Amino acid sequence: MRISRSGVAARARRPRTRIAVGIDTGGTFTDLLAIVNGDLRVLKVPSTPDDPARAVLSGLREMLSDLPPDLVTYSSTVATNALLERKGARVAIITNAGFEDVIEIGRQNRDDLYSLAPSRPEPLVPRAMRIGVRERTLYDGSSLTPLTRAEIGRVARMARRSGAQSFAICLLHSYANPGPEDAIARALAPIGRPISISHRLLAEYREYERFSTAVVNAYVAPRMSAHLEELARNLSGSQLRIMQSNGSATGSELARAEPIRTILSGPAAGVVGAAALTRTFGSDRLITFDMGGTSTDVSLFDRRARIRTLSYPDGYAVRAPVIDIHTVGAGGGSLARVDAGGSLRVGPESAGADPGPACYGRGTAPAVTDADLVAGRLVASNFLGGRMRLYPARAIKAIGAIASAMKTGAMEAARGVIRVVNANMERAIRVITVERGYDPREFTLLAFGGAGPMHAAELALDLGIRHVVFPRNPGLLCAWGALGAPLGREFSITLRAVDPNYEALVARARPMIQRARRELLREGAASSALETEVRLDMRYRGQSYELEVPLTRDFREQFHAAHHRAFGHSAPAAALEVVNLRLRASAADASLAIAKIGRQRGNPAPISRMAVLVGSRVRTAPVYARDSLGAGARVRGPAIVVELSSTAYVAPEFTMRADDYGNLHLEAGR
Amino acid sequence: MKLDPVALAVMNNRLAAIAEEMGVVLGQTGYSPNIKERHDFSCALFDARGELVAQAAHIPVHLGSTPLSVRAAIEHLDLGPGDVAALNDPFAGGTHLPDLTLVMPIFLRNERRPFAYAANRAHHADIGGMAPGSMALSTEIYQEGFRLPPVKIVERGEISRDVMALFLANTRVREEREGDLRAQIAALRVGADRLRSLVGNSGKSIVNAAMDDLKDYAARLMESSLRALKPGIYRARDFLDDDGFGTKNIPIHISIRIRGGRAIVDFTGSSRQVRGSVNANYAITLSAVFYVMKCLAAEAVPANEGLMRPITLIAPPGSVVNALAPAAVAGGNVETSQRIVDVLFRAMAKAAPDRVPAASSGSMSNLTIGGFDRVRNRHFSYYETIAGGAGAAPGRPGASGIHTHMTNTLNTPIEALEAYYPMRITEYRIRRGSGGRGRSRGGDGLVREIECLGESNVSLLTERRTLRPWGLFGGGNGSAGANWLVRGKRRVKLAAKTNLTLQAGDRVRIETPGGGGWGR
Repeated sequence: MRISRSGVAARARRPRTRIAVGIDTGGTFTDLLAIVNGDLRVLKVPSTPDDPARAVLSGLREMLSDLPPDLVTYSSTVATNALLERKGARVAIITNAGFEDVIEIGRQNRDDLYSLAPSRPEPLVPRAMRIGVRERTLYDGSSLTPLTRAEIGRVARMARRSGAQSFAICLLHSYANPGPEDAIARALAPIGRPISISHRLLAEYREYERFSTAVVNAYVAPRMSAHLEELARNLSGSQLRIMQSNGSATGSELARAEPIRTILSGPAAGVVGAAALTRTFGSDRLITFDMGGTSTDVSLFDRRARIRTLSYPDGYAVRAPVIDIHTVGAGGGSLARVDAGGSLRVGPESAGADPGPACYGRGTAPAVTDADLVAGRLVASNFLGGRMRLYPARAIKAIGAIASAMKTGAMEAARGVIRVVNANMERAIRVITVERGYDPREFTLLAFGGAGPMHAAELALDLGIRHVVFPRNPGLLCAWGALGAPLGREFSITLRAVDPNYEALVARARPMIQRARRELLREGAASSALETEVRLDMRYRGQSYELEVPLTRDFREQFHAAHHRAFGHSAPAAALEVVNLRLRASAADASLAIAKIGRQRGNPAPISRMAVLVGSRVRTAPVYARDSLGAGARVRGPAIVVELSSTAYVAPEFTMRADDYGNLHLEAGR
Repeated sequence: MKLDPVALAVMNNRLAAIAEEMGVVLGQTGYSPNIKERHDFSCALFDARGELVAQAAHIPVHLGSTPLSVRAAIEHLDLGPGDVAALNDPFAGGTHLPDLTLVMPIFLRNERRPFAYAANRAHHADIGGMAPGSMALSTEIYQEGFRLPPVKIVERGEISRDVMALFLANTRVREEREGDLRAQIAALRVGADRLRSLVGNSGKSIVNAAMDDLKDYAARLMESSLRALKPGIYRARDFLDDDGFGTKNIPIHISIRIRGGRAIVDFTGSSRQVRGSVNANYAITLSAVFYVMKCLAAEAVPANEGLMRPITLIAPPGSVVNALAPAAVAGGNVETSQRIVDVLFRAMAKAAPDRVPAASSGSMSNLTIGGFDRVRNRHFSYYETIAGGAGAAPGRPGASGIHTHMTNTLNTPIEALEAYYPMRITEYRIRRGSGGRGRSRGGDGLVREIECLGESNVSLLTERRTLRPWGLFGGGNGSAGANWLVRGKRRVKLAAKTNLTLQAGDRVRIETPGGGGWGR
């Protein structure tokens, strides 16, 4: 998705929306952010997990005093939670006879190599609900066993009798010939249940991933549909858009038919929000680092978010475009211990929210947050703005246990815990940078989440990153991302064409472009703001890995160059295979103006001073309130900055500066 | 120099990350489905002595055996900067011929001796020999394919044209082999670069100390795990079905003596090496022991050479678990390795009855199909392994249709296979009811039926076709596997190990074994 160019174009031509709202539903809170005739309004209300629409609707009424919003963009967890909590529909799958178990077998492999009892998630469709159909299409789209009318009738009767609430139609090679899947879908339509058709969700080869995608879609569709209907009923007169996992928004019609596209929309909105924010300081290459209590999300943004097409929510394969977010199971609640071999381990066990780290006053096991507190990186009196009490003595005792196992002092042990958890974070960032061919030193580290700003400075030093940013209002990034998200569509199709010419590829892309235009215009996009981009998954014939290049007249040269860049060699004389064709279309609304903060007058005044672990020594460092820092304020590390939702540590290697919009920048050197 | 507990954890993380990144590169740049789709490879780092210091979790059968390849390369060759050694000789550091191991010395600037080594091992879908896929019914190593003692495939940064030409002339699908080899080389270079920058950032003495200390650390973890087991001598035996040449019920005996944080694992009493290809060389047996011990460890032990320090392995030379040249060994890697794991767990079930599972399918059900593809006008060689049922564990049923123990490769998607090879999958499902009964049920095996679209040579190398995967503590045995030739309406049962020519329209049907049940 592109944020800048199209935004400018859109602002000029589109009638201005009077009230636009961005909403993010999290497990605990629902965040709402509205622009009402140019003014920003913010509201945080408790989520209502049993019926997420309640919090959304009551929040909207409260924030807008019953004024109807014109546009609501919403990042929803309904589809995700239906999957995670196994509260989805009774699904029946219609698939080729003899292949009913493909969705259960998966790829035959196991996740944990050394487990004494390897396990796999329970299939979402029980065996009795798998209906085999006598039909077989081949890889070139030709028919080996044609689907007869009688067979269609038989399958439709079985489907009706199955009592399923939702259907998935999954036939082999349907990407090459969608006819049989469509024929079955027509026969099932009178039953009046949602139908997920594998080739419509994903017209790409590799049956397990496509089938699994259709099944997960079928599983979450009825719930998502009911939820969106309820919202739409209560928001009549407003345009409702849903965030997709790829960072763009879509109308509720597509979200109801293909909820699979929203399954990771929350984290995606966060990345989009972070990226939108960075426009204010002109950096478009960043690493987002969101360190929370039990896990940490990192992602790479290089002018655009990186998109991945395969993910495994709760162990089920889903092939749909998602922002490439890498998650590690370590955060502020991760527990530390010295193992039988004498190494300090942090995680994967977590203290969770209850009992939580020892300093919360309930548990006794040492967690990362306890180490942060002992090291003076966390200000006890300011935790959650002083609303939650911390118990430093309990943290010292817990970290003391680690210290005695390490035969060292409490401060040294705290430092060790921080270094080990940072090593986990460093590895996560290496996965999304170095392993994908990027040098982290060329990026800005954008840190948020409860624990992010405490750990970011030292993590940046380990990675050679020279610029760290703590965004303003970090808790609202997801809502912000939803508010500014462009409309978007992605389609793909498997071609497997050897040495095709440019015109042939354009001809294949044309219907996809038309479909995207049609759908986006229907969702309210301005035709002047529409942008489309066609990309190819290509490889040398015989290879089994594809590289993505844009479809241009010189796509062949582009591929050779990309291959050389990625692998150090290319073979210009070899035959090329275009495996998939991908279309990305988007249309952005007017870009949003972000309010500036007041200028700093005089030198920033610390609210207190405290003992802070700096490198390997304890030093006295000033503590600043973030709210008191005006634009242009400069502070040399070491220093601590406190705000409502987190505490930031400024290492002595950095100077901190507040920009016009209230973002804090750590810049290496002085 | 000794690292503190923090530095130990940090360096463990960094070295493991390098091995993993090598794997990412190899997986992405490989040519053949076996590398790209099935991930049949492993990557690792070694210290200056050739001892394993970090290995990415890929394929367990590669785990304990790669160090022997690295040491063989060091012993036989004078490796300089920019050189890469290649080898597959089972009697000089290899396992079986299709597994080609590449070893690259890593030099620091201005140093004359290697600081460390990077290595990877990939299963190539054909390496010559009497049948496509190089997994035929052989009786001596010479029939199994092209045998490569340690040689330099890259010299001072340039691929050796002579060695490459010689190698490619001896394989059936040379384009694929060359692509996979280049991918292996690319992965080694990434590993070397990353280790050098780690040295640049952390300092040579720290990285050196870390490599030593991590081995000590793994040894301490393993010792503490062994100490937690009840001391005693635990014995068991199990059998291979046959060797494909008339020798049936081939015994493997084990006695494991556990005391004071040490274990002596003794295979004395196992069968002499046999005529057919189910002989395992020492490297395979070592890998199987390594794997079982890592599974039994109380917590995650880093995969390095220290893990085996508290363990003494006795495998009589000339036996089926330590075969000597010129034994046929193609199946030792894939089949006998699984049986060695079975027998080790069977013994350990008495030492850790609350954890050890019943026998899993115990066969990788290797299927190789090759010939000339008239549609695409080229030779082809296709290899796959078919998963089976996992053995049930206390309180947990076995998973169905899952690769267990010494392998963890992915299947080739049907929609990929049919698009690139002259064959068609006619059935692929779970073999219901094949898992053993018990308080926890064993996992079910699979049914996979493949139709050949032209005349093809088919090799089957399978086990547990007569002797069933055992249950534990009263649990029932899993069903034995079965192989069939389906010709029209006729079904003919095939031997566990066989080689045959199929005509267009013939099908081969593989039913894989279920896992054993646990508890009455």
